[in-house]
Amino acid sequence: MHKIRTLGRTAGAVAFLLSGTIFAQAADVSFLTHWAPDTVAKLEAAAAAYTQSHPDTKITVRAVPFGDLLTTLRTSGGGADGATIAGIYDAWLPDLSKDKLVAPVPDAIAADTKVNWPAGVVGAASIGGVLYGIPNEIDVYALNYNKKLFAAAGIAEAPKTWDEFLVDAEKLTDKSKGQQGFGMINSWAAGVLHPFSSLLVSNGGDLVVDGKPTLDSDAAKQTFELYETLISKGYSDPAMATADANTTGPFLDNFVSGKTGMIIMANWWESALKGGMGDALADIATAPIPVGPSGDVPRSISYSWMTVVNAKASADEQAAAWDFLNWLNGPDSGPNGASAMGDILMSMGILPSRTSDGAAFADRLAGDPFLTGYTETLANAKGFPVVLGGQEFSEALQKTLEAMQFGQLTAADAQKTAQDDATEILARNAQ
Amino acid sequence: MQLSQRRSAIAMLAPATGLIAVFIMVPMLLTIWLSFQNWSTQTGFSTARFVGVQNFLDIFSQTTIGRDFKAALVNTSLYTAASVAIILPLSVALGLLVHQKVAPGGVFLRTVLFSTYMVPMIAVALVWSKLYSPTEGPLNQMLGWIGIGRQTWLSSPSTALVSIVILNVWQQVGYFTVLAVAGLTQVPEALYEAAKLDGANPVQRFFTITLPLLGNTLLFSAVIAIINAVQVFEPVALITQGGPVNATNVLTYHIRRVGIERAQGGLGSAMAVTLMLALIVAIALLFAVSRRADRT
Repeated sequence: MHKIRTLGRTAGAVAFLLSGTIFAQAADVSFLTHWAPDTVAKLEAAAAAYTQSHPDTKITVRAVPFGDLLTTLRTSGGGADGATIAGIYDAWLPDLSKDKLVAPVPDAIAADTKVNWPAGVVGAASIGGVLYGIPNEIDVYALNYNKKLFAAAGIAEAPKTWDEFLVDAEKLTDKSKGQQGFGMINSWAAGVLHPFSSLLVSNGGDLVVDGKPTLDSDAAKQTFELYETLISKGYSDPAMATADANTTGPFLDNFVSGKTGMIIMANWWESALKGGMGDALADIATAPIPVGPSGDVPRSISYSWMTVVNAKASADEQAAAWDFLNWLNGPDSGPNGASAMGDILMSMGILPSRTSDGAAFADRLAGDPFLTGYTETLANAKGFPVVLGGQEFSEALQKTLEAMQFGQLTAADAQKTAQDDATEILARNAQ
Repeated sequence: MQLSQRRSAIAMLAPATGLIAVFIMVPMLLTIWLSFQNWSTQTGFSTARFVGVQNFLDIFSQTTIGRDFKAALVNTSLYTAASVAIILPLSVALGLLVHQKVAPGGVFLRTVLFSTYMVPMIAVALVWSKLYSPTEGPLNQMLGWIGIGRQTWLSSPSTALVSIVILNVWQQVGYFTVLAVAGLTQVPEALYEAAKLDGANPVQRFFTITLPLLGNTLLFSAVIAIINAVQVFEPVALITQGGPVNATNVLTYHIRRVGIERAQGGLGSAMAVTLMLALIVAIALLFAVSRRADRT
């Protein structure tokens, strides 16, 4: 009898422990990102801090190169076994929501998000008034220039207009040293498109207005002609412009090694520059995008990233994912009233979009000379168009701009091709 | 064959044929069916809408869809033709070098050549993307030592595809050399002895004995080389992403871009079916040419 009782107690204890184990991992949440290993480690540390108070949630982080992020999301990410949370680029949202791959933000979190983030950023994370993700980073573009090359060429300050920009590009170009004045990018859609778009909006133009492409405007014509001038006069060498799947490659190498005088790039690449330049990053300064002949003030395009939740994950997983994201992006998870997400973003030189993060990191933002050119531009930035077929539109325009870079199209032909292709693509995808 | 024998034959063949049907025929037939549908790869098959041959008309049209597909088809054809045209003669030449018994080191050379085939493509891509770097790459630095100017390699639409071909040749030629050596071992030594007695020089012996008797090996090598080349994906995905100016945008990469990134499953399937048909035609032509050569 004693043995039976002992056996019964043991069985009961085992059953309790087993049930505890099961409940302890009731929700498995996976987080898909394109961040580098050191940033992934910071996210894992934040997840570990969260699971201390939420032992029923297990969070794992999976990282893929940026070039594979959308594909991963579209293949494994779209099923019930795909990542529960994914960091996505706002231009992808219309297609992902159309295919019902992303879940709407729960009402309470959506209401909190609308209060604590700028309306433009919330709008970029919404389709038809429904919020699909919690925004985190915002990126704008600025002129990055090498102060040593500027000093050697006798240039005192960053160009403020396109005329000054062309004069400086000429002074910085020295073919005998393999040095180009302005560095373009190719083989990477965003790398090709965003600098061009930033020059376009700084010239008073737009890519898309009310869902219709406006690449046939005079402002666009002048921007295409600016690119043609940079190429035809040899101020920009397309052979120095290649990017690889990790958004690095020769274009970055040439800037890092002092063979490129100026480049237009987003704030997030500060971490890439740090990796390549180390202390020599102090030689790099930033300034707002030069203003074109049809522009009024320096502008840049902006785009944002957000975290979304897999609509095909189970209800428990979705609930756990939203709870974690709400904490990660909330004011209690990071230092001094900042969010843990904001802290992670700032470690990469990325501007967090949560309003209170801006205040929490105000000193760091003001004290970081690299970010100066970006923060000055932020107020006048124009959002990159978020439309159905955005990826296809971007790739078509990329191809046209690259064809112009390599002298296969004149500015006039490139402008016509870009407008015709964009009209056809946006109309087809809107159906 | 008696009924009982027939039944047991069917029973024994059923597992293998069943697996072939499930894992090969069903996906193939599904792809063909999808090529006539308008379908997002992110939705169930139930959402597919029949559009007839519209997808095939679109991929050969003058729109961006058609232009990009036709350019990818041309790129794939050029890549395949160049790869096969370089790999086959080179593998025979290296095979002769490895197979010869006059100088030592044949086995070592064969091992070195085959080792490139065993290196994972991710490692090959990482190394070659740096080797090809136009300003700081070792290849251009070495060319500079012998007075040859800077080459653009992957950084120009005029040289990018050729650069990918060179990478492919470097990686694959060892494998095809081993095939060539296997073919050379099948050539009877007595034929060479007889030819020598008849006064044939080495060049004559190569063209009258070696090459004709390597016919089957070369046909097999050509088929494998064509299939490998048509399926090229990794170097493009890892190094060039189809650029610059879509110069290295080959069909497998383009189908992935259309079918997965853009979720245009119907169009992607139509492209995949066209690629399959093109491959079937190319291989059939190769066999026809080979049979004709055998008869003459």
